[in-house]
Parts: sequence; structure tokens; C-alpha cells
Amino acid sequence: MFEFEPHTWELLGRYLGAGIALGFGGIGAAIGMGNAAAQASHGMMRQPAVQGEMLRTMLIGQAVGSSPSIFALVLGLIILFVPAQVVVGGSFCAALVGGGLAIGFGALGSGLGCGWPAGHACDGVARNPGNSSNVTQSMIIGQAVAQSPSIFALVIGLILVFRQSPGTDALAMGIALGAGLSIGVSALGSGIGSGRTAGGAVDGISCWPQSYGTTLRTMLVGQAVCETPAIFGMLVAFIMMFALQDMDTGLIGFAKVFGAAVAVGFGGIGPGIGSGLAAGSGCAATAAKPRHDTLILRTMLIGQAVSQSTAIYALIISLTLLYVL
Amino acid sequence: MDVTTLISVVDTVVSQPAGMVADAGISGKDVIEAGALIGAGICMGFGAIGPGIGEGFAAGKACEAIGRAPQEAGLLTRTMLIGQAVSESTGIYSLVVALLMLFVVGA
Repeated sequence: MFEFEPHTWELLGRYLGAGIALGFGGIGAAIGMGNAAAQASHGMMRQPAVQGEMLRTMLIGQAVGSSPSIFALVLGLIILFVPAQVVVGGSFCAALVGGGLAIGFGALGSGLGCGWPAGHACDGVARNPGNSSNVTQSMIIGQAVAQSPSIFALVIGLILVFRQSPGTDALAMGIALGAGLSIGVSALGSGIGSGRTAGGAVDGISCWPQSYGTTLRTMLVGQAVCETPAIFGMLVAFIMMFALQDMDTGLIGFAKVFGAAVAVGFGGIGPGIGSGLAAGSGCAATAAKPRHDTLILRTMLIGQAVSQSTAIYALIISLTLLYVL
Repeated sequence: MDVTTLISVVDTVVSQPAGMVADAGISGKDVIEAGALIGAGICMGFGAIGPGIGEGFAAGKACEAIGRAPQEAGLLTRTMLIGQAVSESTGIYSLVVALLMLFVVGA
């Protein structure tokens, strides 16, 4: 559609892609780590005697929580310096921008999510210093699961950046941008949701250390449900890159692919965050009343399932766009 | 303004010789169809945010309440489901409008 020289396309893609990757990818981890530091400072004021313990918990939480932004940094550098394997044009530019969109938004969600368990862990060590090993352990497990949406985004981003979309038409541009948008934005919701779940669980474990095992189980089930929108996003991204047939290569094809990406990407934000709100409260309630864990787990799962329904509608619309029309 | 008027307006706009879109051989009808397809995606994508968060909020409060009063679990689950069903309605509106755009306007 647009006629530029190859050099212009190349620089446009590299600068836009790396800027989006680092600009958005840094937001989440920075807020999350700030939350951990704020809770640690508050805790040290209440319990100056265990400040060493608290500093250690804060630093572990921040170290794990900063890894999504490190993924964004790595992919951003790759976007800046990866050698061009194909004829440089609009679709090369779109592949680099798509990689930036994937990791930028994906790292935002996971980084923000990892801040909640870290903050609640610092708070929990101040509340009950004798229980710090259980609290730190549950924090690390929760953060590790909350990272997974950003790892999905990293995988799609690496494929986009190294594969550099064969084809030079509008459809190839749409596929590259769409694959990045669908996994990136849907991972945003899943990352925040998984983090909320882990935050609720760590908070509960710090208050009621005896219900450690039950709460951890509820947390892992809840986080698994929160990952669903990111998995839908990854599915649509893979379909776009590898399994499209008989698509119009012009404006209509671009519109179908881009519309499908917007539907499944943005459609994943709400269900991801909502499932996390349900599971976070469910974990806190399980920790307080471990005797009623099955009842709470059942309610939590029903609530999460209903909350996922809009993600399923979004998936239906995007598959309709890709295959039915 | 009905669809045929809209098509003729867009046709006039994009058939200007200086227009970049007209050079690539794209007609106004294509632009409108593309708009309907992307619009369906935006409609369902952004429309899904609110119900998802709202229903999660209701489910979270229900879990908290069941933790406090497990003997009222039936009542609380029922209330949660009714609230979520109402919250779902805007998601269903988005689905209906998106399907309309795909199969009625876009076709």
C-alpha cells in the first residue's frame, strides 16, 4: 500500500519495534518492584528487628519479578540488531513491530502481576517473621506461574522476529502485526490475573501458616484458569502464522487477520483479570477457612468459568473471521 | 445514512487521483467491508473487557463470603450467578453486534 525504500522500512521496523517492546515492557515490572519496595519499607517501620529478613524477601521478589522486563530487553535488542533474511519491505517492518507488540504488552502484565505476591510477602514477613520461609516459597511459586504469559509472548515474538514473515503483501503485514497483538494483549490480562491470585494466596499464607498446602493447591488451580486467555491468544497467533488457507492477500485479508487479533487480544484482558480477582479472594478465603476448601474451590471455579465466557466469545469471533468468512 | 449512500460517498473520496488507496486498486466497497471486519474485532475485543472483570469481582466477593458463612453457600452461589448473568449481558450485546457486522453488514 505504501511505497518506501527498503532502508526506510528497515529502520522504521527496528525503531518502532524496540520502542514498543521496551516502552510498554518496562511499565509492569517497574510498578511491581515499586510495590514490593513500598511494602518492605512499611514492614521495616513496623518490625525493625527483622529488617534483614525483609530485605532478603524484597530482593528475591524483585529479582523474579523483573524477569519479564529482561525478556523485553533481550527481544528489544534482537529487534534492533537481527539481520534481515528476507527482501526488506513492509512485511519485514511489520514482523519487527509485531515482535515488539507481543513482548511489550506480555511483559507489562506479568511484571505487574509479579508485584502483588512480592508486596504481600514483604507485608507478611513483617506480620509474622517466624513464617518467612513458607511465605517466600509461596511467593516464588506464584511469581513463576505468573511469568508464563510473558514466556508465551516471548516465544511468539522470537518466532516473528527470526521468521520475518515470508510474503510482501498486505496479508503478510497483517499476520505479523496480528500475531503480536493477539498474544501480547491477551497475555496482559492473564499476567495480571495470575499475579492477583498469587497475591491473595501469599497474603492468606502469611496470616494462617497452617493452611499452606491447601492454599497453594487452590492458588495453582486458580492461576491455571487465569492462563486460558493467553493460551487462546497464542493459539490464534499460531493459526495466523502457520495454518491460514485461501486468504485474500489485499485489504480484506489484512482486515480479517487484524480484526481477529484485536478480538482475541483485547477480549482476553477482562477474563484474565476477572479470573484473577475471583481466585485471589478464593485463595485468601481458603487460607482463613481450610476446612471449607472444597466449597470455596467449587464457587471459585464456577465464578472463573463464567468470567471466561467472554474470552470464548472473542475466540469464536476471531476463528469466524479467520475460517468462516 | 444507509449503506449504499455510504459506499457512494467513500467511492467518491477514494477515487480522487491523488489518493494512495485508489492507486492500489481498492474500491470503496472493499474499504467498507474491511471496516466491518476490523470493527467486529474491536467490538468483541473491547466489549469483553468489562464483563470479564465485573464477573470476576462478583465471584471474588462470593468466595470471601462463603469463607465467612459456609452454611449460606447455596444462597451465595445463586446470587453470584444471577449477578454474573446480568453482568454478562453487555458481552452478549457485543457478540450480537460483532456477528451482525460479520454476516449482515460485511456480506
